[in-house]
Amino acid sequence: MTGSTIDHLVSVLVFLAAMLIFIGLFNQTIQTAILYQRHRYLATKCSDLLDNMLLNPGSPSNETFHWGKSNCTPTSFGLQDPEFTEYRLSPFSLMRLNSIAGTPVYYPKTGLHYSNITVGFGKFLLVPFNEVINYSTALTLLGISNSHGFQLAITPIVTVSITEVQPKPLKLAVNVKGTGFPLSNANISYCFLTVQATGAFPSYTVSYSTAYADNEGSALLSFPGVDGTKETYVLIVYAHLCGLVGVGYYEHVTNDQNYVVPFISDFGKREIIIAHSYDVHGGSNPAAIAYNATFVLLTEDFTLREMPMENSTGKVEKINYGEGKPYYTITIPTDNPGILVITYQKSAQDCGVVLMPWGISSMAFPITFGENPLAILTKEWVATDIRQVLVNNIAYQSKLSLWSTEGYPVVS
Amino acid sequence: MMRTIEILLVIVIITGAFTIASFFAVLPSPRQVSPINLRRLALTTMQTLDVDYDLSETVFKPPNDPAWAKLQVALSACLPPNIVYNMTVYEVLLTQEKLYNPTASISNAESLGIASDAASYLAASSNVTFNVIPEKIGEHGGGGTLYILNCSDANGWWITGYTAQKLASDLKNLLSRYFQATIMVQNTSQLRQILNKTSLQDEFLQNAVVINTFGECVPIPREYCKGHELEGEGYQSGVDYPYTKYCYTLGQKTRQYNWTWVSIVGYPLYYVSNTEIFANDNNTYGIYGMQKVYQGGINAFLQGLDNQQYRYDETIVAAGISGLVYLSSEVSYCCNYYGIYPSPYQTSTRALSTSIINNYNLTVPLYILNQVGSQIPGAVYRHIFKSDTNITGSFLALGLTRTPDIRLTALGLLSYYQPRLYASEYTVAGTSRLVILQLGQVGGV
Repeated sequence: MTGSTIDHLVSVLVFLAAMLIFIGLFNQTIQTAILYQRHRYLATKCSDLLDNMLLNPGSPSNETFHWGKSNCTPTSFGLQDPEFTEYRLSPFSLMRLNSIAGTPVYYPKTGLHYSNITVGFGKFLLVPFNEVINYSTALTLLGISNSHGFQLAITPIVTVSITEVQPKPLKLAVNVKGTGFPLSNANISYCFLTVQATGAFPSYTVSYSTAYADNEGSALLSFPGVDGTKETYVLIVYAHLCGLVGVGYYEHVTNDQNYVVPFISDFGKREIIIAHSYDVHGGSNPAAIAYNATFVLLTEDFTLREMPMENSTGKVEKINYGEGKPYYTITIPTDNPGILVITYQKSAQDCGVVLMPWGISSMAFPITFGENPLAILTKEWVATDIRQVLVNNIAYQSKLSLWSTEGYPVVS
Repeated sequence: MMRTIEILLVIVIITGAFTIASFFAVLPSPRQVSPINLRRLALTTMQTLDVDYDLSETVFKPPNDPAWAKLQVALSACLPPNIVYNMTVYEVLLTQEKLYNPTASISNAESLGIASDAASYLAASSNVTFNVIPEKIGEHGGGGTLYILNCSDANGWWITGYTAQKLASDLKNLLSRYFQATIMVQNTSQLRQILNKTSLQDEFLQNAVVINTFGECVPIPREYCKGHELEGEGYQSGVDYPYTKYCYTLGQKTRQYNWTWVSIVGYPLYYVSNTEIFANDNNTYGIYGMQKVYQGGINAFLQGLDNQQYRYDETIVAAGISGLVYLSSEVSYCCNYYGIYPSPYQTSTRALSTSIINNYNLTVPLYILNQVGSQIPGAVYRHIFKSDTNITGSFLALGLTRTPDIRLTALGLLSYYQPRLYASEYTVAGTSRLVILQLGQVGGV
């Protein structure tokens, strides 16, 4: 009887122990399967959401009015160019996204903070926070405010980098590459702007030429008669091959202490504020500067064509810094993408030029919108998907990173 | 003891079940769990490569053509480094045995990895894109030349938001297929040539259409300016707006060559522009390179058109219409026929007066926009001398408020000339290529 009871107890204990172990093992398999389903769902959601953003112009959007070209907050979120179908994005809708790449800039004279899409000295794109579409608004409009987080990165496929090889006579090396490999034997069309500061206000001249990249995607451009140490110039390069078009730029200024900073003031009215750099970034040896603003469009043969600005106020001015010294306002004369070129001078020797794209594609600016997926450690899984898109015929790659904000991570 | 053995047997059975279950429950690789949508990536890659029809052109070339190497470079450059591809082009056949015949293939890897996906893209030959062929204006009666003023040395006015060059480009895209020849007049020197009855590209100059894309402004060649050889035909001293005389000359040329002169927006011929001659003159609104002609410009033009003696006349012949103006029924019908759809209602602040009809021997064969009272917001005016049946010059004027909608200009001209559209049979055989781009991922797991 005692032996039977012991046998019974041992068998029950062994059975329970075995069951606990097997429940744990099966549970692990089931858990993995559930995770697989969740991740698979997230990947599908990521692909759908990316298409939703890229194949929908948002609202309001009709023949005469588009949210990307106005100050209004959209009632639905979408980045497609309303004049096209397929994966073609509006350069203006992208310009209204709050970029997370640059540090916001504060301009005391307007009392506003600006989203900073600037890509280096002289290549400014500053959009006021009260006119950009912020991340939380986009989440709400996409219907994922309580369930998902995302980051949308739209970057040019073709990267055109330019370096100075020799200052006098000026020689510049151009290197063209795609996301994968160099763009061998690409056609290169370039505009060379040189700034003249001989008059009361600066001006510029443009020359155009073409070249071909070699098998490594490189080309050497020579500018006989140009002294790269003394002259202010900008080189804008368009590289193109089989439908892929990329833009690169390089500039040299003889005065980077006092310059002008363009801020977008009003999308709907296409108004741009021109500010003195000392009022924005501070610096040393502030001085008044004269500037001359022009707006140019890029034509199909990759030349620049100036578009007259009807409102002459603010176009050619002398701007000073400090309290009581006003900023100036100009109006972009068109709804089409182009480049605002502002030449400035302190003296005949100290001059420079700044550029601002009107529509991000004009200078192939990248934009990163949303949240940084690496910044929050609680993200258990981030799904990504990519598409090739066109922004005003410039080739871009759009990459969406999506993660779930619901529940708790089950694996670290 | 027996129970313990039974339990051990149970454990063996459960272990077996777990092992078998684990054997079949193969965990997917992370790449399969959260894959990139390769199908969409392939499709968007092909769309990007075909933005300027480069892909469509290349796939029709023989496999040894250098264009294939360029396509491969572009394809490799635009895809991420861990993506491998195989692009195969098929000819579309009509035979029942075989629908597709492979013609060329490019690839950067021998295999496409463990997971791949493909997208298809149908490329049409540039030889067969349209299934409608328009009749060419002038193909039965001479003429048929379209001149579009695209002068780089002139500025426009009341074309806010555009440049004349942009409008010229759009007009060319809209209208060139309907004309025997489309000539972009690139500068005022070329304008001078055609005014002097010299063709630019061996085109017919007589019976041509001349579209002034500069809005209320018209380019003026330097020869017609003060101090130059044709000053007498373009400049008259002693009056407020001396270049009014140039508009008279334009009217005369329109009559002599039986042109159809087209004013796309606003008050016709209100300024003359030459950025070299008038470099220091502006229109009082900050646009340099032009001088005002004022309201006498259109009067002088019509005098020239009617072969009247020139007299300086600033009488106002255009005025605003309150409220909206609407497309005429004839033009509304043509919207569908030609597939051009401007807004059916517009605002007109420079509508010409009906008084010009009697004063200058004009008839109105086409109202583009309905007449309102004694104002005509948009119409084609035809000049025919009394006791004559021959047309001696025409004038299309759209007295609308800026910004111009050049679709109205295009529609007005097409409604006036009414070129017929011939449907042609469209077949996919031999004129289309099916492009399959298959993508795979390499590296990692």
